[in-house]
Amino acid sequence: MVPMGYLLDLIGSAVLLGCTYTLVAIGFSLFFGVMDVVVFCCGDIAIFGAFSILASYTILNGLGVTGTWPLLLVILLLLLIGILFCAVLGLLTHRFSIKPFEKSSALMPLLSTIALGTVIREVIGLMFMPVTNGVADMVAGENAVHVVSGRNPQSFPSLLSLGGSTAARNIIIVLVTVVILLLLFLFLNKTKTGLAMQAISQNKELSLMTGINVSRSIVITFVIGGVVLAISGFLVGSYQTIMSFDNGSMFGIKGFSAAVVGGLRNTWGAVLGGMLLAFVEVMVSGYVPNGSAYASILAFVVVVIFIVFKPEGIIGEKTVEKV
Amino acid sequence: MKNAKWFWATLIVLLAVALLFTGCGPQSGDGGESGDGGGSTASVVKLGFFAPITGGDSAEGTAARNAFLMAIAAANASGEYPYTIETIVIDDQGTDSVAVAGANQVVADPAVVAASGFWNSGPAAAASAVFKEAEIPLLIWGAIRDDLTNAGNYPYITRSAPTASQENSASAAVVLDDLGYTDWFIVSDAGDYGQGNLEVFTQELSKRGLTPLGSEVVQEDATDFSAVVAKIKNSGAKAVYCGSTVEIASLLKLQLYQAGVTDILFAGISGMKTPDFLKIGAEAAEGALVVSPGVDLDSTDAGRAFTEAYNLAGYSEPIGAYTPYAYEAALILLNALSACGDAPTAEAMVDAIKDSETTGIFGTTTFDEIGQTTNVATYLNVVQDGKWINYLNSEYADGTRSFGGQ
Repeated sequence: MVPMGYLLDLIGSAVLLGCTYTLVAIGFSLFFGVMDVVVFCCGDIAIFGAFSILASYTILNGLGVTGTWPLLLVILLLLLIGILFCAVLGLLTHRFSIKPFEKSSALMPLLSTIALGTVIREVIGLMFMPVTNGVADMVAGENAVHVVSGRNPQSFPSLLSLGGSTAARNIIIVLVTVVILLLLFLFLNKTKTGLAMQAISQNKELSLMTGINVSRSIVITFVIGGVVLAISGFLVGSYQTIMSFDNGSMFGIKGFSAAVVGGLRNTWGAVLGGMLLAFVEVMVSGYVPNGSAYASILAFVVVVIFIVFKPEGIIGEKTVEKV
Repeated sequence: MKNAKWFWATLIVLLAVALLFTGCGPQSGDGGESGDGGGSTASVVKLGFFAPITGGDSAEGTAARNAFLMAIAAANASGEYPYTIETIVIDDQGTDSVAVAGANQVVADPAVVAASGFWNSGPAAAASAVFKEAEIPLLIWGAIRDDLTNAGNYPYITRSAPTASQENSASAAVVLDDLGYTDWFIVSDAGDYGQGNLEVFTQELSKRGLTPLGSEVVQEDATDFSAVVAKIKNSGAKAVYCGSTVEIASLLKLQLYQAGVTDILFAGISGMKTPDFLKIGAEAAEGALVVSPGVDLDSTDAGRAFTEAYNLAGYSEPIGAYTPYAYEAALILLNALSACGDAPTAEAMVDAIKDSETTGIFGTTTFDEIGQTTNVATYLNVVQDGKWINYLNSEYADGTRSFGGQ
């Protein structure tokens, strides 16, 4: 008889893992909803955000800011920096990896964002140490704190573990995920810009004819996507504590799978998909003997089942194309 | 369309720059004049070197490459060789197919007389077939799966590092016999390295009439071990054996600590003994016990000299558990080159390597009847106050501190 505490441990783990998948999946849903393209480097953008935050933290550490400023202010400053980097990267992704292929088949932006993901990973691996240490030396001089090679695993600052408590950190991760979802829901449904983005997602040509500034909406989408992915990177880093430059590919695949299972165009679908994948993984790992070996396989079997039997996802809408 | 062309041109340039810096694809290492690549000349002799220079194992692979090239550069500078020794460095990315492609490229170069390589057992096994068929000797410096050296591959494939059995046997003698742990939970990764360790550590338990309380095989890119931690907690195990590399081992140890599972021994294998393991924090890492190949570098003159030379060279990657083995592999190949006279060939190098007797950092290396080193040395390390310390010099050995689960 497996004790109830064991089940509760697994449920808690699944919810947290689901939050990390969900936030990346939202990025996929947002981009696909407006642009009708799969931006496959979402996971890498999120990890880029995490490394930007880590680099900024290291530099601020040398300046003595992290020990003297209020923790909340430090977290907000770091998030702001991460958001800035991710938003710029989101815009660059759009400019160089999506826009040139606007009139091409959907395969082209998919391939170009896969390639861009590789570039992002390699740039993190190559540039994280020289850039961080260089800037740290420049601004903090003798007090500069240095990082080791970007290809080595990096320790992410435990800013959310208030008083060393992982319980507090876990609650904050869930709460922040919920708040982001609510804000995103309000933005998409209650603001003019959000409604314009939804209109573009439903019919781009008609949106143009009704006077919606499509180009502006697309730029805003990538900025918002960057914001969500930066926060996602921060939460993933805080949850994992140890990060590698190539973590983005795994999070990208899991996030994409979650978005597909939930319904690619639907933000709430991303939540359901992320949670479903996480629960399958954790429960298989927890209850099947040696289940960790099969957890990812079964999670992807779920994805395949959805693609075959319910391609629109859990709460996606069926699209009928008249020929 | 013009934009698309511009994009792809930019992307190709970016990728080319990234590959140039990261060492993907072949690089000619070690200075010296460049060979013409069109055939063996009296002035250039080439060696192949394989390591994961990009990807998750890149820290260990890059440090090994540094050490290998450091030895070759010193040999070229010494003037002892009547030719320039060039190294073709292949980034195998820890992937079988990439390793095989690299091996084919190396054996196709007529100036190549020998190669050394591999941190990962899978790529080592895959590439061994290529070298054996081409009858070019391959000296393995870091991959430890037992069957990589065998009668069928001899004399083309030799190995200067200990096998997984040899490493685990030394570790088992301490944790099972000396410390007396009986209730084990085994975690390994799904790769060749993890599976090899799982097999030999289970055998060590079996030899003593023990059966693990549970075991889990995790994916090599896994980062969330919460379900495994819950299983360990629920199993009542007093000790965890982690047969994987630092990325998995450090996260598992951290997540055990965060879940409050601290009254437990955490033991592992050389793949986790790197400075990166300590990044999880002193408290979380405390008490991790790991076996390392070779001897403690700080305990011998040769070890200290190697550390000093490596640090003086200014490499950014710290010395890993197998970095000295890559250096020793270079010394063995250089010794074999010396034995082959002014015009070494691959055929002559096969015999020269298998019959070699090379004194390096860890003593004198010779090879047995299947090409496995006879110079087997291992030692244990433990994390104490956020540092790796030789177990024999630690407070755990003298009884001042005790491991969890005792």
